[in-house]
Amino acid sequence: MPVNETVGDLNLDEYKYDFITTSEPVFRAQKGLSEEVVRQISAHKDEPEWMLDFRLKALKVYESKPMPKWGGDLDGLEAVLDEIYFYVRPQDQMERSWDDVPDEIKNTFEKLGIPEAERKVLAGVGAQYESEMVYHSLREEWQKQGVIFDSIEDGLKNHPELFREHFGTIIPTGDNKFSAMNSAVWSGGSFVYVPKGVSLDTPLQAYFRVNQERMGQFERTLIIIDEGAQAHYIEGCTAPVYSTESFHSGVIEIIVKDNARFRYTTIQNWSNNMYNLVTQRAIVGAGGHMEWLDGNLGSKLTMKYPSCYLMGEGAHGEILSIAYSGDGQHQDTGGKVVHVAPYTTSSIVSKSISKGTGRSTYRGLCKVHEGAHHARSNVECDALLINDTSRTDTYPYIEIEESDASVGHEASVSKIGEEQLFYLTSRGIRADEAMAMIVRGFIEPIAKQLPLEYAVELNRLIEMEMEGSVG
Amino acid sequence: MSDSTTDALSAVAVDRLSLGEPQWLREQRAHAWDVYERTPMPTTRLEQWRYTDLAKTLDLSALTLSESQPAQDDPTTWPERLRVAMDEDHAASGHIVFIDGRVVHSDLDPSLVAKGVILMSLHEALDQHSHLLREHLTTTVPAEDGKFEALNAALWADGIFLYVPKGTQLDLPVRVTRWLSESGTAYFSRVLIVAESHSRISYVDEVLSDDFSSQTFTSTAVEVVARDGSQVQYVAVQRLGTNAFYQSVQRTLAHRDSKLDTLNVGLGASVSRVDLNAKLIGPGANSDMLGLYFGDASQHFDFNTSQDHLEPNTGSDLLYKGALDGDSRAVFRGIIRVHPGAQKTDAYQTCRTLLLSPGARVDSLPNLEIEADDVKCSHGATVGQLDAEAKFYLMSRGLDRVQAERLVVLGFLGEVMSRLPLGGVVDKVTRAIEEKLAQHG
Amino acid sequence: MSDVPVLRIEGLEAKVAESELGILNGLDLQIGKGEIHAIMGPNGSGKSTLAKVLAGHPGYEVTSGTVTFRGEDLLTLEADERSLAGVFLAFQYPVEIAGVSIANFLRTAVQAHLPEGEELDIFDFSDILTERMAMLDMDVTFAERHVNDGFSGGEKKRNEILQMAMLKPKLAVMDETDSGLDIDALKIVADGVNKLLAEDPDMSVLLITHYQRLLDYIKPHHVHVMVDGRIVESGGPEVALELEANGYRTYETIEPSANGSAPVA
Repeated sequence: MPVNETVGDLNLDEYKYDFITTSEPVFRAQKGLSEEVVRQISAHKDEPEWMLDFRLKALKVYESKPMPKWGGDLDGLEAVLDEIYFYVRPQDQMERSWDDVPDEIKNTFEKLGIPEAERKVLAGVGAQYESEMVYHSLREEWQKQGVIFDSIEDGLKNHPELFREHFGTIIPTGDNKFSAMNSAVWSGGSFVYVPKGVSLDTPLQAYFRVNQERMGQFERTLIIIDEGAQAHYIEGCTAPVYSTESFHSGVIEIIVKDNARFRYTTIQNWSNNMYNLVTQRAIVGAGGHMEWLDGNLGSKLTMKYPSCYLMGEGAHGEILSIAYSGDGQHQDTGGKVVHVAPYTTSSIVSKSISKGTGRSTYRGLCKVHEGAHHARSNVECDALLINDTSRTDTYPYIEIEESDASVGHEASVSKIGEEQLFYLTSRGIRADEAMAMIVRGFIEPIAKQLPLEYAVELNRLIEMEMEGSVG
Repeated sequence: MSDSTTDALSAVAVDRLSLGEPQWLREQRAHAWDVYERTPMPTTRLEQWRYTDLAKTLDLSALTLSESQPAQDDPTTWPERLRVAMDEDHAASGHIVFIDGRVVHSDLDPSLVAKGVILMSLHEALDQHSHLLREHLTTTVPAEDGKFEALNAALWADGIFLYVPKGTQLDLPVRVTRWLSESGTAYFSRVLIVAESHSRISYVDEVLSDDFSSQTFTSTAVEVVARDGSQVQYVAVQRLGTNAFYQSVQRTLAHRDSKLDTLNVGLGASVSRVDLNAKLIGPGANSDMLGLYFGDASQHFDFNTSQDHLEPNTGSDLLYKGALDGDSRAVFRGIIRVHPGAQKTDAYQTCRTLLLSPGARVDSLPNLEIEADDVKCSHGATVGQLDAEAKFYLMSRGLDRVQAERLVVLGFLGEVMSRLPLGGVVDKVTRAIEEKLAQHG
Repeated sequence: MSDVPVLRIEGLEAKVAESELGILNGLDLQIGKGEIHAIMGPNGSGKSTLAKVLAGHPGYEVTSGTVTFRGEDLLTLEADERSLAGVFLAFQYPVEIAGVSIANFLRTAVQAHLPEGEELDIFDFSDILTERMAMLDMDVTFAERHVNDGFSGGEKKRNEILQMAMLKPKLAVMDETDSGLDIDALKIVADGVNKLLAEDPDMSVLLITHYQRLLDYIKPHHVHVMVDGRIVESGGPEVALELEANGYRTYETIEPSANGSAPVA
């Protein structure tokens, strides 16, 4: 075992986040989803009447919608949902000071490297444990400038008008079955507002941790970047490996107003028995700039297609995505760009790696509405297959209603070339190391955009996965 | 219900068509009708029909089957456009002429007849080569495949049988020319092509009509089998008038080391739907799949293609290009499937669309499903306008805008035709596109 | 000439893996410490195959014969082990590896050549890399470019020599290093090799080339002519000059059986 234990040197042979903290929740709703559970959640949060109504309506919509027939294999999901806890309240209140967070929970996050990271570079940090945010903090300088970085619950309490004006407007309850489910049982997540012209020069970061077995996490995040403002939000997700399957379904709504710039980075490294079904969407105003940087490394099945609706002239949307599917994993990911206004531009770059029995699917939409003249969009998908049992699919939808638009889509599938391997090994590099090097090179265009600690993490994962993959 | 009348699309009509046919075929038709009745009409909820709404574009209940007497085998009595189309490109190993759904003429070079080549109507073939038909008919495109496949297998009124014996190579293509004239009619026909090992054949099938006063439906089921080492080219040119609904299901089976290429040219009809499935079923088999279309007014083209690689070392290369003018619309949905074990597959798929007018729209879905790792696969799709630089270049040499645009469009589409060295077809299609472009301003 | 050869090839026969196509048909060759040998031959004579077989390319199968490198059996080693043992192949067609920077690639390779447990000092590495790049007239920004990705022919070949300069092999096999180079690029590459030879006079070099041109800049001690997968003539630099004057035609009439075992230098 390593003695020089830094954050970067945890045991590499195992899923790094496979540790369980013993902490007793203060409240846990009964298993499964019911009106009673929804009412309990709402009561625990001391919500206004309209939110309870919103939740109950959403529950009806959820129940009325069939399970999606496309995407990943959801056959076993209904049984899983009957067995999980939709709401687990780990502590009574959210803390502003790290010292006040209960020790067991604090230990968990210390192991994940916060608030160490916060001390380094972040503008603000939030941490969600089970169903609730247990910690939120924002640097004072940003508070003074009117930036809000809060738990979603506090957003509703403290900024009711701003909240109600935008909540559920980007992703309506009935958008899909899981957005409806989230709308009924949402708990935790962030509420972010960056006022006009304010530029956060360091990121806001949120950590999501599921600790308990048979737990469902349903965070809801609402982010408003006002005119000319700039920000970057990072979320990281982990959970211990349990023998039973868990479930995560977030809804992320983002409003990027005119000339604002925003980047949302997700690195999802859930344990390999997690269903991860997330709806993420941003609307972008004139001259605005939205980037999704989406890394999907963990989970059993992820279905997630970050979207940009380019509503104002000259808006730009970008989706960079990396998917890694190891044995038994299916990453069904991609992105949507919808051009509504003239002179809008977008780009999607997707890179996937499938190994063992892993399956990576790119599913994307590029739509140009009539009137969005001079729209330009470019999509590139590259898939790398490591073994003959690996699988990859590409399902792009290209819908063009405007003649004055230019759209390109390209996809390629390849395996690691024998000549590349020989070239590297002929320089003395071991074959598995050479494989890892080629894989890292393959994702380099996206990996270089990642925050450093995640880039390091990704490299480590690849190194580990490629070990013993040759011969 | 119109079931009681003999000319409706009904079980009664199936019985009538079966009269005098061998038992196996009667059973085949009855079974197909049964499948048809059990199969729901495809809706836009089905992925494969997402962009073509049959509820709005096709009314089968308003259609009747043709009951007119077959036309005479006398070119002087044929419509002029049919004769012109034949004369444009007459050199052939053999001809078939279809008028209103029935074969009225067939000829084949006697030296080929002597070698055992068969080219005739399905009705003739039933009399003379029943065993071959029984072996092949509806095995490649079976009724079970879908609503239209079943309807066709139940109601086909005539068709073409082309058989090329082992090692026989035809230097000139077989040419089929079809003419449709009855508004409100549904036509069902089949094409069965069997190329035995190491044979070589090109087949060109052109369908024409004037505009119809009410919806007219034509359904063709095409089965092409290329045995080991054979070379087959299948070409379909569609030049129907408005109110025509053109529906064609094509499946090609490429055995070991065979080369089985297809070209679909879509120029006419109000609605056109082509389902093309290329199956590479023997190691070393290869298929080029070409497509070309030009839409104007409110034409709707829907191409649904698939490339199934079932064996190692197989190749397929698809290129579909189209230009859309007026309020026309095109759908391209293509999928490459590399099945487990089909290593060393090279599969490519490209679709490119030019939008020439503000009302045009296109939906492209180029899909990949790859279950083998040692493959080379890629797809690309682009949608754009005329190359402004090329247009400017031509105009700077004195061409006016319209002339320049026409040339650029022809150049764009020409890439497809340049890959299929069938001179007569290229000239004919180029002329037809030029005619359509003449209306573009 | 030294007593123990660096490389000894005896009766080497090799074919393309999974085929019956024999390319090397009983090749003998011996290279001593510090010697520069050139193998010349017409297209298809098996020159490049020899280079790849020596480096351990998985696409070829040795069916007979032995290759001894500094007294050790080379053929049982994997490609990376051969590199660690001191064999370097400068590729005729260097392979592009997108996303991997030259600096990162070379750092990994140099680290692999260090004795077990020894860590490469990153600053030392940078210094050496900068110095070697200067020697080869390469801009420092070159190190951040991806391996051969989008390189011109000349850049690719220079990159091969850079790797050779960093890995300091005992035997450098240079497979048609002159192909695709203009005269200026050829001079830079040859100059680099000569500097390395001056630094380490014990380094042996096997030049594989179709043309005499390269040999004007890197002077071989011995020149061999290869036809049909074996050496058919060996001699001094004059052999290359004769070839330049008369071409390979003289060898094409040679009956394979009439030649017996080829003379060895």
